[in-house]
Amino acid sequence: MDVSSVLESQKQASKATEVQRVIPLDYDLGHLMASDINVLDDKVLGGSDSAALNQYLRKVTREGAQLLINQMFDLPTNPTETSVLATLPEPKLVLPREKHVPKPKTKTRWERFAEAKGIKKQKRSAMVFDDATEEYKPRWGSKSAKNTANDWAVPLAEKDDPFADPRKKVRDEKKERMAKNQRRQQRNQEEAELKDRLPSVDPRAMKKQDLQRALTLTKTSTASLGKFDQKLKDEPRVKGIKRKFKPTADKASNERETSLGLLKQVIDGPKNTVNVRKAVKKTKM
Amino acid sequence: MRPLTEEETKILFFKLAKYVGKNLTYLVDRPDEPHCFRLHKERVYYVSEAIMRKSVNIARNQLLSLGTCFGKFTKTRKFRLHVTALDYLAQYAKYKVWIKPNGEMPFLYGNHIAKAHIGRITEDTPQYQGVVIYNMADVPIGFGMTARSTAELRKLDPTAVIVFHQADVGEYLRDENTLF
Repeated sequence: MDVSSVLESQKQASKATEVQRVIPLDYDLGHLMASDINVLDDKVLGGSDSAALNQYLRKVTREGAQLLINQMFDLPTNPTETSVLATLPEPKLVLPREKHVPKPKTKTRWERFAEAKGIKKQKRSAMVFDDATEEYKPRWGSKSAKNTANDWAVPLAEKDDPFADPRKKVRDEKKERMAKNQRRQQRNQEEAELKDRLPSVDPRAMKKQDLQRALTLTKTSTASLGKFDQKLKDEPRVKGIKRKFKPTADKASNERETSLGLLKQVIDGPKNTVNVRKAVKKTKM
Repeated sequence: MRPLTEEETKILFFKLAKYVGKNLTYLVDRPDEPHCFRLHKERVYYVSEAIMRKSVNIARNQLLSLGTCFGKFTKTRKFRLHVTALDYLAQYAKYKVWIKPNGEMPFLYGNHIAKAHIGRITEDTPQYQGVVIYNMADVPIGFGMTARSTAELRKLDPTAVIVFHQADVGEYLRDENTLF
């Protein structure tokens, strides 16, 4: 019997780069990862010899790394001037995100309105041709053609007051516009916050409800409980709490049951009349 | 006219139980004819079911009284017993006081009862206990509340107040127009 071929293969297996595994490893080269599900040696793991255990674990680790590196050498390579680079395939394992998926931003009132009306944002050039100076000027901003704040003369219309400062008027109008925009920003922010906290609540309805509650409270906060106050137009009628009583001519048996129950409470007195905490305190002293 | 709320019933029972104790059950659960408590113009009436059903037909502002008036709720929602409840209290009273003939008139004029006027008293009556007052002929003439317990009685002088006056039959004449 010729055993030379068997011996030959045995010799090759003993080479450091050649590692034998019963179950082949699972590779995910995109992450440079190999997973080994082969069973470890129970005798060494459970044994008391720590030196042998360390040696065994080191061997298993080395072999695993060897197998992974062997796989990497099979990858297509890309030679550069200094070295050879292997291109890794796409990773197979999907890693979970570290952070939460960001929440979609709550839309402002204008965004919601534009969406409902089908209004789309149009791209417009930043520079526009100014006919007066015959050159390109920014569409908006301090250097735009629209900005009249620094013009050397201001035309006065017939209806305008000749003694009023026209520049101050322009300034005031701008301030007012800015304040208005700021108020709206604030409102949008508040509504977005509310929507995050209570998604089912309509902020506008809630605001209205709050306002009406405040109104009814202030109306009844005078000495005469608002009896002589001037009524607002379409003021909501305030409904008080209506007392509810049991039916006057109910079955006597029904009433007897509840009465007997109450009677028991009255005769027995309040339950647990002993204050346990106090009693314990007294016995300790 | 309406039934009492739970809170009102409790206040009423608490007051009645001071006089009749556990016997109050006989008032609520009557074997002969079902009775109930009804509130009308802040007064509590103890009325049989049959009469209560009939009185439903009478408008509220026309209805003056029904059944037996037990007392009224004050504006601070306390309950004050009227002398009209005496018949039922006397029937089930746990503690009784009998007064001598010479003490009858002072009591019927609305005065407290002094020790000198007491003929007899139920044994072991505690302090501040609701009692029904009888004359020596065993006729109930009112009710009150003990100022002292029977144990203390012996030591006291004859002028000491033993029972605080609460209601007496003299009120039928004195408070005729507000009683019912």
